[in-house]
Amino acid sequence: MTAYAAAPHAIRPAERLSEIWRRSATLLVLIAAIALLALLAGQADAVLQRRVIFCLVNLVAVVGLYIFMGNSGVLNFSVVGFMAIGAYTSALLSMPAAMKGTFLPDLPLWLGAMQVPHMLALLTAGVVPALIALLVGFPIMRLSGIGAAIATLSLLFIAYIVLGNWDSLTGGQGSLMGLQTYVKLPVAAAVAGGAVAVAFWFQETRWGIALRASREDEVAARASGIRIPRVRLIAFVLGAFVAGVAGALFAHFQGTLRVENFYLDLTFLLMTMLVVGGSRSLTGAVAGTFAISLVTELLRQTEVGVTLPGAAVTLQTPAGLGDVALAGVMLVIILFRPNGISGGREIDEMWRRRAGRKHRKLPEERNA
Amino acid sequence: MQLSARDVSVSFSGVHAIEAVSFEVARDEIVGLVGPNGAGKTTMINVLTGFQRPTAGRVLLAGEDVTGQSAGWFARHGVVRTFQAVRLFQRLTVQENLEAAFAGAGIGRMEARHRSAALLDYLGLAASAGREAGTLNYGDERRVGIARALALSPGFLLLDEPAAGMNIAEAEALAATIRRIHADYGCGIVLIEHNMRLVSAICDRLHVLASGRTVSRGAPAEVMADPHFREAYLGAEAVA
Repeated sequence: MTAYAAAPHAIRPAERLSEIWRRSATLLVLIAAIALLALLAGQADAVLQRRVIFCLVNLVAVVGLYIFMGNSGVLNFSVVGFMAIGAYTSALLSMPAAMKGTFLPDLPLWLGAMQVPHMLALLTAGVVPALIALLVGFPIMRLSGIGAAIATLSLLFIAYIVLGNWDSLTGGQGSLMGLQTYVKLPVAAAVAGGAVAVAFWFQETRWGIALRASREDEVAARASGIRIPRVRLIAFVLGAFVAGVAGALFAHFQGTLRVENFYLDLTFLLMTMLVVGGSRSLTGAVAGTFAISLVTELLRQTEVGVTLPGAAVTLQTPAGLGDVALAGVMLVIILFRPNGISGGREIDEMWRRRAGRKHRKLPEERNA
Repeated sequence: MQLSARDVSVSFSGVHAIEAVSFEVARDEIVGLVGPNGAGKTTMINVLTGFQRPTAGRVLLAGEDVTGQSAGWFARHGVVRTFQAVRLFQRLTVQENLEAAFAGAGIGRMEARHRSAALLDYLGLAASAGREAGTLNYGDERRVGIARALALSPGFLLLDEPAAGMNIAEAEALAATIRRIHADYGCGIVLIEHNMRLVSAICDRLHVLASGRTVSRGAPAEVMADPHFREAYLGAEAVA
């Protein structure tokens, strides 16, 4: 017998199916959670519905952040920049020509006259940031640690400054108004589910596992033949695509677009969502987005003032507490539960670990 | 087919880690790389696997000059190493550790899963497949390190102190495993090991380094009888 492991193993179709089913449990639960949230919100009042839609739009962005940062372990501050590019791409492609004439009189003629269907605009809003990510990611993907953090932060600054000053294309610091607000609950939930599915698919590919391995140990990953810059770039581009789509959703949810919406505040919010949930798992990305959305919503209500039932007291917290609380939650998690709510595990892993503790006796440790 | 280093020197800011060393291993042999601490053994492995670019000299694979290729290139071309510090992917499962290496070799995930399971079976690690690598005991950790290297279908396997910290029974089991791998994979093996009993039991040849230079080479019995070897290695050990 030679080259034992090189002998290809015949995979039976039934085996393949049961394997896919077992692996997909996490994805199914996550999509069910999104669907449930959307269904429940459908019964609620318009204000709460808007909060839920905003949560789902943020979820798409957090998933975009997770695809690169979660799998590679490399800090990435550029996601909101790619969101902004996606938002403006979709706006420019889908605004009625008359609107463009009012807000952006200096647009190139061909762009001023163009109006494509929303779904095509949404797709392009992913493709344009992805292409830019491919270009700028090429040199950056060799960096880790502080270098990567500073480089990606620079990308955010560049996107912000360019979009904020390119008056003919974006209207500069002014607002772009009159975008069609087609992003209601069904669209937001469908795209969020799609984003989660894309992220799940990615981490199940060989690039996904290679990238996660490089996150754990770069030297050992190189010794295993993994091309670290290449697998990082694949995730960076895919993450930029998803972020761009999130930006377009944001634009067509709000109906107005301002460059300043896509800067440090949003970056910090998305980071907090991912870190609180547990950046090493998709389950964490979803759990963190839901948890932080809930916390910010509760705090927003107390800022407005809550009247306790049966008591004549109104609880009101000072304005600005929301942001402080957000930072506080982030700090508490980093200090006391650095792997986040999910512990960096997917749902099926949590399930198996629990089952394993009950039924399986682990081999005895020798020198632990 | 051979993997070899010709007159290789590596110096770090003027200090020589190895100096004008020539070393070779063929696919049908197990070569022990021995010598006292600081002799340059790990540096030699780094050179032979692309982790260290030699300051002078060349690295040849099957007669072709491959000096300066990346570590990843060597791994993908079947020149695979393990680490003294093992370096498993700590928060991935044992199975995923292997899948990552299969991914490095360009094999798709589904296929990789099945091959990983087969490979874990082969090394008697199947029971640990779902465990996080960071929770393994020392001996299992080292065996997973070897399994991960095998995922790359090595033509040459370079093991950096695979038996360190093992007791006698474990070291003997490891020796049997190494022989089995050599036979089943048909790969050349370079073994850094301090346990001379283990080394002389399974190696066809020994190459002795001391202070970055070759001091002796040949069949285990010859080398063990060589006064240069006794001075460089056993002498140093006896003093310590």
